[in-house]
Amino acid sequence: MASSAIRTSTPTIKTETVPPASAAALIPGILLLAVVGYAGKFIEQFIAHYGKAHHLVLPNIEYVLWAILIGLVISNTVGIPAIFRSGVATYEFWLKAGIVLLGARFLLGDVRRLGGLSLVLIAIELALALTFMTYLGRAFKLKPKLVSLLAVGSSICGVSAIIAAQGAIDADEEDSSYAIAAILLLGAISLFLFPLVGHALHLSDRAYGLWAGLAVDNTAEATAAGALYSDAAGKVAVLAKTCRNATIGFIVLGYAIYWAGKGQAAEVQNKGAFLWRKFPKFVLGFLLISLLATVGFFTKPQLAAVGNLSRWAFLLTFAGVGLRTNLRELSKQGARPFIVGAVGEIVIALITLGLVFGADHWYHL
Amino acid sequence: MANPSPFRFISLDTWAVLLAFAAALLVRFGIVKSVPW
Repeated sequence: MASSAIRTSTPTIKTETVPPASAAALIPGILLLAVVGYAGKFIEQFIAHYGKAHHLVLPNIEYVLWAILIGLVISNTVGIPAIFRSGVATYEFWLKAGIVLLGARFLLGDVRRLGGLSLVLIAIELALALTFMTYLGRAFKLKPKLVSLLAVGSSICGVSAIIAAQGAIDADEEDSSYAIAAILLLGAISLFLFPLVGHALHLSDRAYGLWAGLAVDNTAEATAAGALYSDAAGKVAVLAKTCRNATIGFIVLGYAIYWAGKGQAAEVQNKGAFLWRKFPKFVLGFLLISLLATVGFFTKPQLAAVGNLSRWAFLLTFAGVGLRTNLRELSKQGARPFIVGAVGEIVIALITLGLVFGADHWYHL
Repeated sequence: MANPSPFRFISLDTWAVLLAFAAALLVRFGIVKSVPW
């Protein structure tokens, strides 16, 4: 989970959660996610009905954006009372459950084709992004381990990757706090910028979804950025992002070996066990559900029902994205990691956009 | 998020997968007939 291992010293960021004593302690926060998410859905439907009833052409703003905006307003005005915090932090749990259930909406052939293409693009993106971020961090004279964390966070998987890498390379909690803040703030910005750029460039649903999945860092933000464009784009964004998540163990292992070689991190004793520990298990769940859907385990109405379950899980996730983003706290974390992250993100977004245009040209997405 | 104490023996990642499969099986075996959106 993104915020599970965050035990920050100074400076602290608002994603910190105290372990709840029991599962019951999660209920208030989960209810808050449901209320905020459902309010977003209600507003979308209300505007649509109002426009229809009054013969008005009103902009169709998706529930995704409403849920995020309501969450952002609450988080940045009244704040999240302590009773809700541990439950709100479950939004990544719902995200992962939602991704597994979304597997039912993919036939394995699609997964193989799009996933295979995604993996090729991810390999290119990782090589370019890790190299660029490393040089950029050095140019800005950031601490070497902070550079590693920013490189991992911006090239693979945002917060989860930073947390996985922090333990593996024995990085300071302060460094990971900086890196997480930069990635979260940039994720919040890209959430709103990506759909605008996608529409301006008239990207197809598949091309845009692939781009969002390759370029937006956090899985929750990548899912939301895709869903903000269209349902189909959201599906492709999740698939591409899931492929990116699958590489997390290999990259973190690489960094762990690098820092252990310099005598600044513990040796990795069992590399197979390390990879399995870091591998996101929901990727396997996604593939298994997709396999079941492909072999006809579910009827068509059942597939629709499972797809809707995934939508409900994502509804909670999108509410959580807004609720956990405290812009004031994030902006306190210092300018240099943010500038390095921002420059890196822009370059990665441009590289991946180029890759997607290339893939679209050669493979007709 | 932190793993609540009774559930620490399985990672939250795995719990998410188990919950998703449980929900999908409820639909598959007709215990949940339809899910509106």
